[in-house]
Amino acid sequence: MLSATVLERIAIAIASTLSAILIGLVIVAVAGYNPVQFVNQLVVGSFGSERAIVRTLRYSTLFILTGVAVAVAFRAGVFNIGVQGQFIMGGFATVVSIVGIAPLLPENAVGGTILIAIGTLAAIVAGGLYAALPGVLKAYGGANEIITTIMLNFIAIGFVGWLVAGRFNDPEATATRTRQLPEYVELPSPIVSDPNFSLVGLLVMLATVAAVAVIMARTSFGYDMVTSGYQQSAAGYAGVDPKRMIVSTMTFSGVVAGLAGAVFVIMIQGYYTDPSGVGNYGFDAIAVSLLAANNPVGVVPAGLLFGGLESAGSHIQINSDVPVQLIDGIVGLVVLFVAVPELFRMIAKRTGLGGENR
Amino acid sequence: MSVADYTARTSVRLGGLVLFVLIAFGVALTFTDEIALERLVTFGFLSRSLEMATPIALAAVGGLYAEKSGVFNIGLEGFMIFGAFSAAATMYALGGTSPTQGHVWAALVAAVLVSVALTVLFAVLLIHFKADQIVAGLAVWFVGLGFAPFTAAVIWGSRSSPGLTSIDPIAFGQSPLILLTIGIVVASWVVLYRTRYGNWIQAAGENPEALDTAGIDVNRVRYATVIFSGAMAGLGGAVLLAHAGNFGGTGETMVDGRGWIGIVAYLFGNYNPIGAAAAALLFGALDMLNVQFQTVGIDLPSRLVNLLPYVAVIVVLTAWGKTRMPDAVGEPYESEE
Repeated sequence: MLSATVLERIAIAIASTLSAILIGLVIVAVAGYNPVQFVNQLVVGSFGSERAIVRTLRYSTLFILTGVAVAVAFRAGVFNIGVQGQFIMGGFATVVSIVGIAPLLPENAVGGTILIAIGTLAAIVAGGLYAALPGVLKAYGGANEIITTIMLNFIAIGFVGWLVAGRFNDPEATATRTRQLPEYVELPSPIVSDPNFSLVGLLVMLATVAAVAVIMARTSFGYDMVTSGYQQSAAGYAGVDPKRMIVSTMTFSGVVAGLAGAVFVIMIQGYYTDPSGVGNYGFDAIAVSLLAANNPVGVVPAGLLFGGLESAGSHIQINSDVPVQLIDGIVGLVVLFVAVPELFRMIAKRTGLGGENR
Repeated sequence: MSVADYTARTSVRLGGLVLFVLIAFGVALTFTDEIALERLVTFGFLSRSLEMATPIALAAVGGLYAEKSGVFNIGLEGFMIFGAFSAAATMYALGGTSPTQGHVWAALVAAVLVSVALTVLFAVLLIHFKADQIVAGLAVWFVGLGFAPFTAAVIWGSRSSPGLTSIDPIAFGQSPLILLTIGIVVASWVVLYRTRYGNWIQAAGENPEALDTAGIDVNRVRYATVIFSGAMAGLGGAVLLAHAGNFGGTGETMVDGRGWIGIVAYLFGNYNPIGAAAAALLFGALDMLNVQFQTVGIDLPSRLVNLLPYVAVIVVLTAWGKTRMPDAVGEPYESEE
């Protein structure tokens, strides 16, 4: 029975993605572009060359990390829409802490490693705290977390944007950005040599997924968390304090989002710009998590799919006239379809697909 | 809850928001001792605040109708984006970069029609196919954030439109859309609290079984309110555009969270259209504070002052966040027959 629902969920995820892409193609055609060429560019841009694959893996690393952050919260019935803000706060904390402490440490690989550890820790703390705030406001003030986390996203963008342009601006840079991380602060890159991707980053991501999956499925903390999400009264009888659970869930989710911010800064960007331009990883992560039915392991294939779409997006931006915002629209459609499993169940029933009688 | 209780609670909330706005002014004034309050609170400021409040108030009135009937339309922000964009596209299609006032009005109508068409689809997914209301609502936002700038790029070659035109003021330099909004707010109050249909709406949200027993189709009432909420959000977006004069599609688009603030506005107003509009006005005032500070020469970073409405939302939601939602919000209704 359980495997049937898992299969059904996978089928729904695939059907949602295909329907969204199909509608996207119709829109491409209506807007006067060639849909066949567009599909070709989607494939070439995501998995068509070694460069494309590395780029896909780079984006996927971020989508999977932020996707896991969302999954943690959604699983526990807390709607953390603020992963984007926590991701920004985390990444910015990494830059500030590393740039600030770097002069005190030797300028070599050892110093670099220590700085990476400090920067990651700063990101985790910043992301965790920035998520704990709406958790506390929900638990003790009754403030709807969907709205507060969305507001905190806007606030993170404005606040960090103000700091990047003012207090932390690099006077020598022509663009508005912070100072760069020292060049010895970088992840070692075995096998694949790409300035913006490292297998170590990928491994950190996979380890995080494994750790979160184990915590959620095999520890009492994870059990209490998931129970509060599905059956609050049962969790209450089991002696779980629902208010504290909300705060811990949000903090846990924010910690993962902060980690994603650190990986973004250390592996990819190397500095911070105005956060309105860093990419909507934390928003798309909601789609990633929903597509995976909020299962941390399921986030891996879903994140790969989104990494592929994003990667194809940057290919399309250069090699095609089709405006790249189309990809964002398709992501929105994926979320829309995931919200309506009943739609696919009815279609399956009408057409006789699916087969199982329930 | 008695009527007296109800009004008392609503006024406490609004009082809180007024207090917050006053504190914001107070903080601003401590930064400078030469600027008198009367230079800050001017007629122009009031009229600009009204202008900023109209889109929020319209979205709020629509959203509260949907929620009163038992459907949480979290997609208001997305429908506002569609409204703003379709208004801009209509103006451009009719009059290029120099549309006339007639074109502006046509654009408002077109924006409402487009939003209604999209909301019908959305309502079918929510009510007939029992979509998850939160996830589907978020999806509308994402779809808007993607497809509006996409279509803008197809039409104008950029995520934003070129300068179009904004609506001409009528008496006292006021936009006619402010009057329109006031009319809609008052009418919505009358319909909701003084007509039979209003009672049906409230029953659909509080006790759908009873309404069904009385022979009224619950889902039909819900379709009507959800479509109305989309129409109002779309009109709100179009009004925002008619005041601004061009479509901005960068970042979170020109709507920039106003649909979300609309939700908060009706929560403060305790689902009362007039209360929601009053809350919207206060958010509008916070939104315009920035311009006002610049005019009188208070030197606060505009980037931070722009965050005030968002901070206000969090503060007030926390202090007065426990609204009593209609009982059946979020639950699809299926008739027993």
